[in-house]
Amino acid sequence: MERKSRAIAFIGALSILVSGCYPRGPEDSEELEIVVTYFNDAYDFQSKTTYARPDDIVIITGNHLEGEDPVFIPNATATLILDRIDENMDKLGYQKVDVSEDPDLLLTPAAWETTTIVYWYDYWYWWWGGYYPGWGYYPGYFTSYSSGTLVMGLIDPAEVGANGNPVIQWTGAINGILTGSYDASRINKALDQAFDQSPYLSSN
Amino acid sequence: MKRIFVILLFLSGTSCAIAQNTVLVQYSMGVPTGDLNDFVGSASFRGFTVDYRKMVQPNIGVGFELGWQVFYDARPFDTYSIGNLSYSAKQWRYNNQFPGLVAVDYYMHPGERINPFAGLGLGTMYSFRYTDMAQFRFQETAWHFALRPEIGVLIEASPGVHFAVSGKYYHGFEAGDLEAQSYFALTLGFDFAR
Repeated sequence: MERKSRAIAFIGALSILVSGCYPRGPEDSEELEIVVTYFNDAYDFQSKTTYARPDDIVIITGNHLEGEDPVFIPNATATLILDRIDENMDKLGYQKVDVSEDPDLLLTPAAWETTTIVYWYDYWYWWWGGYYPGWGYYPGYFTSYSSGTLVMGLIDPAEVGANGNPVIQWTGAINGILTGSYDASRINKALDQAFDQSPYLSSN
Repeated sequence: MKRIFVILLFLSGTSCAIAQNTVLVQYSMGVPTGDLNDFVGSASFRGFTVDYRKMVQPNIGVGFELGWQVFYDARPFDTYSIGNLSYSAKQWRYNNQFPGLVAVDYYMHPGERINPFAGLGLGTMYSFRYTDMAQFRFQETAWHFALRPEIGVLIEASPGVHFAVSGKYYHGFEAGDLEAQSYFALTLGFDFAR
């Protein structure tokens, strides 16, 4: 009986000891950073040379469904992000043009503040999509983005899907850089990473 | 293979010549091999096994083994691609192995202070593998048919209690989406006779 009790006690102590040592994951927010890119491998990026983008970065909150005005990232921050995007697009061989100049691609940056993808559906039509009535659809490859994610899309306005909406050819998502204070070093590094890991975008 | 399994099941139900039964509780350290090593690549110091043996002969014990071993590896920030999708992030990889085996041991010097033994286990091993990258998790599971040879020694610590040390090799055959999963284990613990 005594030996049995000792065995049970030993099993219990061992279980607690081992379960308490279960390996843990990330311990700070920087370790949660992730850069995700996805592209359409049937699309010929090399033949494209121009792109246009908005001068603001809209914040996707979903509140527009209740009739609220769109919200944007503060200009100073947005300018830094957009300039970095332009630098990367320039390195890849693209020339930035005005949206009225019939660009090959449209670059659509947005900051994510909801985890519900459905809000994307008509956001672009409702906001910047006024230039291109009807192309509101932003296909979400991922089931959700967490708050603080910067999402970039490259859309060819001439390529229309079966539903009549333009098809996104490239998506870059950077998670975890828009929370807390603006850290230029972290954001620039992540933006560079998104383009570095997408060499197929090069039109050089 | 089926014949061995049937023999083990038969022996586990035998009640003749019961000298004593034992419960063996061990801390386990694992070294991955094969596909498991490719996925994790680091030794595991987190695991345990619990064994029960019914002594059907003075030198033969039959029973079962249950265990858990978790292999873990934190990979540095890097780019990983799956088709048209690329991720750059730090990765945390986990591979939990849960063997559940019918086992038989042969004891070379039963009743002596130092008692080497050799054993074989057959049954299943459940693999629960996942990779965490930021908020994303990639997960795979599989139930493997498993084989586990073992050699070890029991050293009497006090009447009815033995210190146990053994070396094991777990091999779970290919199953589901996972290739064969295998690892060596060094186990240390105590054997309690009743």
